Order: sequence, then structure tokens, then C-alpha cells
Amino acid sequence: MADFVQLVILGLLAGGVYVAVGVGFGLVWGVLNIVNLAHGALVIVGGYITWQLFSALHLDPFLTLPIDAVALFVLGYALQRGVINRIIRAPLLFTFLLTFGVNLVIVNILLMVFGSDFRSVTTSYSGQGLELGSIVIPYIRLASLAAAILLAVGLAFVLNRTRIGLAIQAISSDRDAAQLVGIDLRHAYAVTYGLGAACAGVAGGLIALIQAITPTAGEPYTLQAFVVVILGGLGRVSATVVGGLAFGLVEVFAQSIPGSGSVFANAIAFGLMVLVLVTRPQGLMGRLR
Amino acid sequence: MSWRRVFMILGLVVAAYALLAPLTSLDPAQSAGVPLLADRLWFRIATFIAMFIVMATAWNIIGGITGYAAFGNVAFFGIGAYTTGMLIAKAKWPFLAALPFAPVVAALFAALVGLPLLRLRGHYFAVASLGVGVAVGELVQNIDYNGQPLFGGASGLFLPIYAVDNRGLFFFYVMVAAAALAIAVTWWVLRSRFGYGLIAIRENEEAASVLGVNTTAYKVAAFALAAALTGLAGGIFSQWNVFINQDNAFPIEYNVQMILMALLGGTGTVFGPAAGAVLLQLLIQFLGGSLPMSMNLPFVSDAARPIVAQVILGVLLVMVVIFVPRGVIDFFGGRTRLSLAYLRRSLRETSL
Repeated sequence: MADFVQLVILGLLAGGVYVAVGVGFGLVWGVLNIVNLAHGALVIVGGYITWQLFSALHLDPFLTLPIDAVALFVLGYALQRGVINRIIRAPLLFTFLLTFGVNLVIVNILLMVFGSDFRSVTTSYSGQGLELGSIVIPYIRLASLAAAILLAVGLAFVLNRTRIGLAIQAISSDRDAAQLVGIDLRHAYAVTYGLGAACAGVAGGLIALIQAITPTAGEPYTLQAFVVVILGGLGRVSATVVGGLAFGLVEVFAQSIPGSGSVFANAIAFGLMVLVLVTRPQGLMGRLR
Repeated sequence: MSWRRVFMILGLVVAAYALLAPLTSLDPAQSAGVPLLADRLWFRIATFIAMFIVMATAWNIIGGITGYAAFGNVAFFGIGAYTTGMLIAKAKWPFLAALPFAPVVAALFAALVGLPLLRLRGHYFAVASLGVGVAVGELVQNIDYNGQPLFGGASGLFLPIYAVDNRGLFFFYVMVAAAALAIAVTWWVLRSRFGYGLIAIRENEEAASVLGVNTTAYKVAAFALAAALTGLAGGIFSQWNVFINQDNAFPIEYNVQMILMALLGGTGTVFGPAAGAVLLQLLIQFLGGSLPMSMNLPFVSDAARPIVAQVILGVLLVMVVIFVPRGVIDFFGGRTRLSLAYLRRSLRETSL
């Protein structure tokens, strides 16, 4: 029983990172209709910013998260405004290939700058945890989950309570009508992608805390973000939170299967995704559109 | 004489040289140092090019003609490679007897996963197929039977070397034959009732269904056909390369490369993907520095070269998608001319 509780807790904690990775991806997908294959690369850029600030200036990694967000927002805004806006009316395959090209460029520039060595952020409180009886809760994981939830709440606030957020929602319901009422599409699109990138940056900072990163470490996160968004359902931040936590649980339980459970984690995740897609395409929490 | 005819004659001459020259003059040419023929590495690259012609042309059947953006076709390549590989390495079958099973198994698998997957559309199909591509590779590497890895596991699968004179040349011709088959199949599809059905599905699936096209059967058949050709390339690859593992039989980057090739050349056409495969593969090899007649890139050290090559490839990918969305076959086919106005027009068509 304690094992089960421990697994559930670990799963929810692992889900924190997936929530952070998923919300930005889901926003860009839901509003811009772009499956952003560069998302993982943006995540890792955030990870390197955190690592650089931690190792050079000894900033606490959690304090670097806002810096990740701002830096990635600027990068994402420029990327959308300068490049991705150019093909927004093209068939979906083109956005796939374009973002893959962006991914290739970012990852290899990181390789040039930082090399392919593993980099990790180890703080004084890494490895410590809260002990409740036989159950252990690592502090870093707990703080990461809190940060991820905070990120999701912040994003929901921006989308629902600010002028630009409402403009983004208007675009996502009807692009042409939004343009008719005077929304500057180019700017709003760039802000949307910038927000998505900012979420990716925060996720990268959290990931740097829990695993060693390399320039190519982001690629699995692109796929996992996709699974998370599918699981939850496209279009709402809260659905992505549920999807992220569910994905964390599935992963932890899959890894705990005796024998070779851990090596099939990816296959199980994708199998689950295909199952959800085929049986419940609107996601666990989604509404039919 | 129109440019179209010039390109066609030029292309035929080059193709004839590439195909026939090795047959007559391999050994003397190598001792005399004739360019291209002097280097055995060249056969490897030429065989790779033919392999990508097969894959890009096969992807075109499901992605270009049917309009379903399959992102996991490398699964069929790997399944073909492992089918032939297992039959040769474990069951001791001869290569030519084992090869026909590669396309059959790949097509069966495609039909099986295609039935649920092809109900999805757009992004959902693209990423679900990508997921299948990743998952199959992982399963093949990790499935155990009685505690032994069933397919060679992480250490891969070694095949006995196929005993034939001039092995490089033999596999070059086998791969070229597969490429010719893929192009012939595409040519047939585009002229058949089946192909018209697929194009109807691409243009408007509901309308096609109303007109009496059995869309599910057509889509699954197109998917299986693409899988069969891709699997054939994988089967040839396994015996040619003698060693297969997850990294070389299920490389994720092939997914994007074959699509980029089809797109670069022109999707939905017979020769477009092949032209794209030749262009892009030569470019990748040139940038990577492995072409026999390669030259140094300015300001780039040898160590940084593979990384710079990837950056250039990424930038090129972005440029092609933005500026030449219909593929270069338009220029060579004489339909349009490469001009600033053309680039501006394609930019404006898709811009926000």
C-alpha cells in the first residue's frame, strides 16, 4: 500500500514537468494550429539559461525561471514574427517541416556553443526530501510541481483576464472575425508563440534541475508534450494540467512494471496516446468542437 | 529547344552514365582514377541515394497523392530490414528468398495500424504515425523471449555477408531496381482508377466518399503500398549493410528527410520525389564532407563541420518551405521560371 501511495506521489510529481512542457505546446497548437516540433529545443534553451546563470552567477535555479520565461518570450516572439508567420496559411505539413528546421538550427547552435557534454544543476538541497513515514517526497520535485502549477495558473490568467489574452482567444475561435474587429493578427500570433516559448523556457529550467541536459535532450519532450496535450484535450490550460499529471502517473506506473517495464515507457505512452486518439479524440477533459 | 527538353536529355545522360559506366569499366576505371568510379565510397553514396528515392517516392503515395502526412514511415523501413535480417541471420534463408517477405510484412503491419490510424486527420494522424514509428523501434530492440532478446536486442543483428562478386555494385543495382519499381508503381497509381480515388480523398474526403470512393479501403491500400516499397528498401539495406540495430534501421531523421525530399522535388508527381532525393542526399553528403569530390567550407573547422552542416540543412529546410512550397520540379518541368516574382508570390500566398 505504501508502495502504491509512493508511486502515485512520484507520478504526480513527475507530472509537474509534463504540465510545464505541455501548456506552452498546447497553447501554440490550439491557437496557431501549429504542431511545434521546435518546442523541445526551446525547452532546452531554457535549461541552458538556468544552467549558465547557476554555474556562472550562482543564482538559485528557481530564481532563474522568470529570466528563462522573459528570454524565451523574446526569442519566440521574434521567431513567429520573422519566420513562422510567413507560412501560417500553408498546409500543415509545411509548419511541421518549418518547425523541424528551426529545431535543427537551435539544437546545433547549442551544440556549437555548449558542446555535447552533460550539464547538470546541483543545489545544496538536491537529493533531500520530505519523509512521511515510509514515503519520501524529494523537495526539488515538489517545488517543480508547484512551479508548474503556478505557470499554468499564470498562463490561464493571461489568457482569460488580459486584453491580449482575450485577443488570442478570439483568434483561436475565428481568425477572420478577430481580424475584422481590429486585432493585429501578426502581433497577437507572435505573442501567442512567445507565451508558448516562455512556458517552454520555464519547463527547461525545471528539467535542468532534475536531469542532466545536453542540446539534444529536448527531443523526447516534444513528443511527450504532444501526448500530454492529446491526453488532456486541446484548447484549455486546465485540460493540459490534467493530461500532464495523468502522463506522469502512467509513466511512473509503467516503469514500475517488473521485468522490462522501464524500457517500454515510450511505447506505452504512445500506445496510450493512439488509444485515446482513436477512442476519445477530444481527450480526457475535452469537449467536442 | 525548351529548357524542359534540355533538362530531360541532360538527366538521361547522367542517369545512363551512373547506371551503365560501372558495369563496363569498374576495374580499369579504378586503376586509371576516373572521377566518381575511382572511389568505392561513391557506390555507397549512390546506393544510399537510390534507397532514399525508394523511400521518398513511397512516402509520396500516402503523403503526396493521398494527402495524409505520414511521419512514421521509417517504421516500415525498419520492419522490412528486420524481417529480411531475421530470415537470413536466424532462419539461414538465402537473401533473394528472404527479400520478398520484407514488403509483405511491412504492408501487413501498415494495414493493421492503418485501420485505426487513418481515421485520424491532419496533425493527429501525423503525430500518431510518428508515435508508431518510435514505438516499433523501441519494441524491436527490447522484446525478449525466454530471457533472450528476440531481435538481437541492443547489440543489433549481424547478417552473414552475401557472397557475390562486386558486392557494392550488386547492391547498387538491386537498390536502383527498387527505385525504378517505386517510380513505376507511382506512374501506374497516377493513371489508375485507384489513383484518382486517392487524389479525390486528398482534395475533399467527404465528397470522395459521396461519389462512391471506399475511402477507408483506398487509404489503407495506399498506406500499405507505401509501406511495402519502404519495407523493400529496408530489406535490401539489411543485407547490404550486414549489420542492423535500432539506430540504423529506425532512424527518426529519415522520417523528415523523405518528406523533405518529396516536398523539395514536388509532391504528387512521378519524378519529383526522386529528383528531391538526389538533390538533398547529395547536399547532405556534400555538407557532411563525405562526398569524394567535396571541398572545404570557408571558416569552418573539420570538427565543427557536421554541426554546421546540420545548421545549414535546417536553414535550407526553412527556406524551401517558405519560398518553394511546390517543389523544384516546377522549374525543371518548364511550368514556371525561377524568378524573384515567383519567390515573392509564394511568400505572399502563405503569409499572414
